[in-house]
Amino acid sequence: MPSQEPKADSIKYGLLKFIDITGFKVFDPVVRLCFGEEPQKQLGQIGRFMIVPVIFVFCCMMLWAYVAPRHKTKSGEVPDPTQVWGALVVNDTLHKRENEKEADFLLTGEARTKKIAEVETLLKAKEAEAKTLKETIPEIAASVQSDIDASLAPVQKKYDELKATHKQEVDARKEKIKALAQSVANNEASNEQLIALLREDSVAKKEARETQKAIKEQIAAINDNPPKVLKNTQLQYSSIENEVQHLKKRLDYLNSGNRGQKVEKAEQAVVSAQEKLDAAEEPAAILAAAKSVVKGKEKVERITSQKYPRRATIWFQVWRSLFTVFIGFVLAAAIAIPVGIMCGLNKVVMACLTPLISVFKPVSPVVWLLIFQIVVGAFFPNPETHPLFVFASSLPWIGGLKVNPAMVYSACTVAMCAVWPALVNTALGVSSIDQDHLNVAKVLKLGLWARLTKIIIPSSLPLIFAGLRISLGVGWMVLIAAEALSSSDGLGKYVWDEYQNGSSQTFANIIFACFVVGIIGFFLDRIMIILQRSVSFGDGAATV
Amino acid sequence: MSFKRKFQTFLLVLSVMLGMIAAQNTIFANEPFDELPTLELEKDELKFGFIKLTDCAPLVIAKEKGFFEDEGLQVDVTAQPNWKQLLDNVINGELDGAHMLSGQPLAATIGFGTKAHIVTAYTMDLNGNGITVSNDVWDSMVEADPSLDSPTPPHPISAESLKTVVQDKLDSGEKLQMGMVFPVSTHNYEIRYWLATAGIHPGMYTSQDIKGFSDAQVELSVTPPPQMPSTMESGTISGYCVGEPWNQKAVSMGIGVPVTTNYDIWKNNPEKVFGVTKKWADENPNTHIAVIKALIRAGKWLDETADDGSLKNREEACRILSQSNYVGADFEVLKNSMTGFFYFQKSDRRSMPEFNVFFKHDCTYPWYSDGVWFLTQMRRWGQITESKPASWYDETVKKVYLPAVYLNAAKRLLAEGKIAKTDVPWDTDGYKPPTKDFIDGIEYDGRKPIEYINSHTIGNKD
Amino acid sequence: MSQFSMEIDDASVWFGPPSQRTEVLSDINLQVQPNEFVAIIGFSGSGKSTLMNLLAGIQPASAGAVQMNGEEVTGPGPKRGILFQNYSLLPWLSVYGNIELAVKQVFPEMTAPTRKEYIQKYIDMVSLTGSEWKKPQELSGGMRQRLSLARTLSMQPEVLLLDEPLSALDALTRANLQDEIIRIWEVDRRTVIMITNDVDEAVLMADRIVALTPGPRATLGKSFDVTLDRPRDRTTLNFNPRFIELRNEVTKYMIGINEEAKALHTSTDITLPNLMPVDFNTIEKKPRKPDQPAVGAPEPVRSHGEPGRQQELVTAGVDNE
Repeated sequence: MPSQEPKADSIKYGLLKFIDITGFKVFDPVVRLCFGEEPQKQLGQIGRFMIVPVIFVFCCMMLWAYVAPRHKTKSGEVPDPTQVWGALVVNDTLHKRENEKEADFLLTGEARTKKIAEVETLLKAKEAEAKTLKETIPEIAASVQSDIDASLAPVQKKYDELKATHKQEVDARKEKIKALAQSVANNEASNEQLIALLREDSVAKKEARETQKAIKEQIAAINDNPPKVLKNTQLQYSSIENEVQHLKKRLDYLNSGNRGQKVEKAEQAVVSAQEKLDAAEEPAAILAAAKSVVKGKEKVERITSQKYPRRATIWFQVWRSLFTVFIGFVLAAAIAIPVGIMCGLNKVVMACLTPLISVFKPVSPVVWLLIFQIVVGAFFPNPETHPLFVFASSLPWIGGLKVNPAMVYSACTVAMCAVWPALVNTALGVSSIDQDHLNVAKVLKLGLWARLTKIIIPSSLPLIFAGLRISLGVGWMVLIAAEALSSSDGLGKYVWDEYQNGSSQTFANIIFACFVVGIIGFFLDRIMIILQRSVSFGDGAATV
Repeated sequence: MSFKRKFQTFLLVLSVMLGMIAAQNTIFANEPFDELPTLELEKDELKFGFIKLTDCAPLVIAKEKGFFEDEGLQVDVTAQPNWKQLLDNVINGELDGAHMLSGQPLAATIGFGTKAHIVTAYTMDLNGNGITVSNDVWDSMVEADPSLDSPTPPHPISAESLKTVVQDKLDSGEKLQMGMVFPVSTHNYEIRYWLATAGIHPGMYTSQDIKGFSDAQVELSVTPPPQMPSTMESGTISGYCVGEPWNQKAVSMGIGVPVTTNYDIWKNNPEKVFGVTKKWADENPNTHIAVIKALIRAGKWLDETADDGSLKNREEACRILSQSNYVGADFEVLKNSMTGFFYFQKSDRRSMPEFNVFFKHDCTYPWYSDGVWFLTQMRRWGQITESKPASWYDETVKKVYLPAVYLNAAKRLLAEGKIAKTDVPWDTDGYKPPTKDFIDGIEYDGRKPIEYINSHTIGNKD
Repeated sequence: MSQFSMEIDDASVWFGPPSQRTEVLSDINLQVQPNEFVAIIGFSGSGKSTLMNLLAGIQPASAGAVQMNGEEVTGPGPKRGILFQNYSLLPWLSVYGNIELAVKQVFPEMTAPTRKEYIQKYIDMVSLTGSEWKKPQELSGGMRQRLSLARTLSMQPEVLLLDEPLSALDALTRANLQDEIIRIWEVDRRTVIMITNDVDEAVLMADRIVALTPGPRATLGKSFDVTLDRPRDRTTLNFNPRFIELRNEVTKYMIGINEEAKALHTSTDITLPNLMPVDFNTIEKKPRKPDQPAVGAPEPVRSHGEPGRQQELVTAGVDNE
């Protein structure tokens, strides 16, 4: 044991340091416990700082699960945690389906025929399942309807009775009023009496309406809340039907939609055109045939390079959002750091920029987005052929993210909103540089460039990074709004589309997206903390 | 009519050719590599935009059922947040084309709103809109007109019963607020038509008042379709005119009652078109034709009927549309209107087989008379600020509607045996015969726009 | 061996607008011979650091001049190496890096291998061997000041200015470093001006002690020649009557001028902008404040008041055991 200790210790301290740098200090006692350091104390710490929070979060979930189904909204039910988890599963399934279809699109030869058989049997099974389920739906619906009718019947009866009695009352009063009017005409009663009666009648009518309305609402409530069975069966049926739809589409991609098949078809066309060319004798015919050979060949080339048109799945949206925020963040940093340094170094520059910063800092991202949409849009009259986008789409990884003007102006919006914290912090960092460090520079007679790179920038790096960290957080928040508004693919658009869909899944999907956004935001922040710590030389950056 | 004659000769030639092809083996009929001049596509990867409404179906179906692919096109269809952005994206080239409101290409071309020359060669559907009022307004309407107090009130419901509500509001110093989806949308003209028929002034557009509130008794403001139900629920508006599924959504949410559909306001009125910029159409003529071909097939597929007359593909279409990247609403909700049923209340489910028409009644043909109707409405409500001669209407609509492209596409489909000869109005001058199928029975003749404008009580007169 | 003398002629330093001028140093006159070790002793807040900045050229004289070898000092430069009270190390650079920065700047023509050897020599000289790649915050106070010393020496300054170099250190470390500085100085003689508040230190290290009267309007007072033989051994020195006598003489003189200043202080009503009121008769430790002043803090504060730093306000002679 003692001989191993130094090595174990170095591992332990390595781990502890890593935990410290990444800001996951919560795990500190776990590591220490694993190395057998003061188990009693570590267990206490784990209990207080891990188990208690976990229990708390669990309680929150339970509260959520309890409250959600009890809170009725007109737009739909508030999803409980399991439904949100379901949304994750559904979204992931959609992603996997896209993968399957893509694979099918690219499949060739023996594997394709095998796959076709496989998908066909699967399809048959699913179709059969769908059919049986579909048949049960009317039965369930009928039984549900009869249940509803049963519970409705007494209320409806009550309503009808009430209506009838009200009608009788109305008629009776009508008679009475008529009679009274007659009496008034005959000078047997006063006008006041008639007016009083009429007023009475109006009040009674109003009351009758109110009671009727109350019962009507009861009826509506019963109608609005049919037993869950039907809905669940329908959902189940829907999901199987979707699966069937998917399998059919897969067959499409395996057969006529398959790239290999399409290429083959086009090649055949070329061959027949070639034959025509060989057979042709007239100059005009030769020319035409030759032309069609060329066209055919071009077509083959085009098809060969075709890619599967993926639909935007949640994970794609995540990557695209991350890329957009990265671009925006880099832009923001590229502007903020030099400008911030100038501001920090030169009071005149600071004075010049202060009004601009103060005015533009509080502007809402939405406004920036609209401005950039107009301004940036003008730079890309033909987005398809613009060199920037052509270049971007030719890059690996990034090419698949569909870089387009919407992404550019979303990124610009992010940059515009994220630039301020970094700028202000950089300026602060530079202007509050320790006089001692500047004295060193003075004594060493460092030139401007050396002073910048050797003294000023390194000394303000911790504050610059603290600013960048805030910037990234702001950028990530802004991005979601910008994407929603500009319909640039990404998490924001996902949320917006879901909202627009207004389906029963909408709410769960939005809450799911909320978690995705939050968790990604958390990790982005962690990354910035690590960076910030790696450049700071004092007591380290604060973690929150 | 030399064009007509030429065209007839062409048809003759075409049918002879068809006969020849049919006589040859069938593979060639499906693969007219040499027999017909093939379309040399200028561009084969396209991006189209749509708004989450059931009437985007032709675009979605053409993609999902592989009709675009059959034309050698690889198409991406993406949802747009609102009509304005959709139009902007088409203009700035982000999108190649889009599902548009019928009024959009016309308005853009004449410069009301964003100016850009937009053209259309395909009408996507007929009907499909409804007017929904909130529960409170409905209760007042019922109070004003006891005949409505029934689970299945008689239709069409006119705006007469709304008058008291409007008056009550005016008396309390407010104006009834209602929503429509876009200043030049069908919905705007329909709800104005419906209100004006009952003598309720929906407000005029003037050169100063681009919101259209002048003289209004009811103020109509723009809200994107998917937000209609929630905006009404929040009380900002008390009613709206919108396409599906957003009327059915109000019923399923229990927040409002659809009172009428545009089928009642104008039977088989044109609704959405497929719009592209003039520039795009000029640069990609063959691609344009190929796209229209696929769309015609999609329209036909959507309106295909089984032997018993039911629409056989609609359920599958709903299944596709309910995918979250398309319309995304629940299948059950979409199914209602798409399969020919409409819930006016939970208790009032009516059969409306022609609520959504995608192909019947020569729906997909870009009729000049349809375009002129929208122009007359723009003039009626002051979006066109000055009086124009009848010839202007004809010229304008001919700049925007491109039946030649449509017929070119149709003729190719006919040659390929994908459509029947009776599916397309081959020899029309683009104007439908005069019709009185309006809620107020006023006759509309596309050739006489000025007379039509003058025949209304409320609105501009020339 | 350095051949550089330093000279201050009638130099004064003042801050603030003419109407409210605060004169920190007034009519300073000092001649330092080549290779002489002069200690300037004064109270905290008497303008010692301003005097040091004046010598270094960081602070220009408001009147009068500073000369080095008869040439007027117009700005700071590596020829006058300063050892700052708070080390002024660059915390983002390692021990090696801190020295390298200076060496690279002063001897740009040096080749990489020579430079490496050269730097190592100075690291070894201050006994920091083995800590080359440590960051300053991983070093103890004494090691930091040693590093600072190595950096300053590596520039091969003609004149060495020591600005209370040891006042932030504990007594033992301090003694240790005093010996070290003397050892290095004995080997490689040069002109040294050291500012200190410790009479023992001054007597132990210097050839001559000059008193700085308490501020404001501080000026140089009496000068004491230290005639003790070198090398001086601190263990035996405590029993050396000449040492005790000199120490008492200086201490007495310092206390005397302090009393005078206090009397002056109460009679004339001078406001001291940005200066902390200090009681010279109590031993007081100020808590360290965060070293981050607000953007655009008034510049003069730093150069004479040093309010943001840890300060040991001591009466002369008390703090040495």
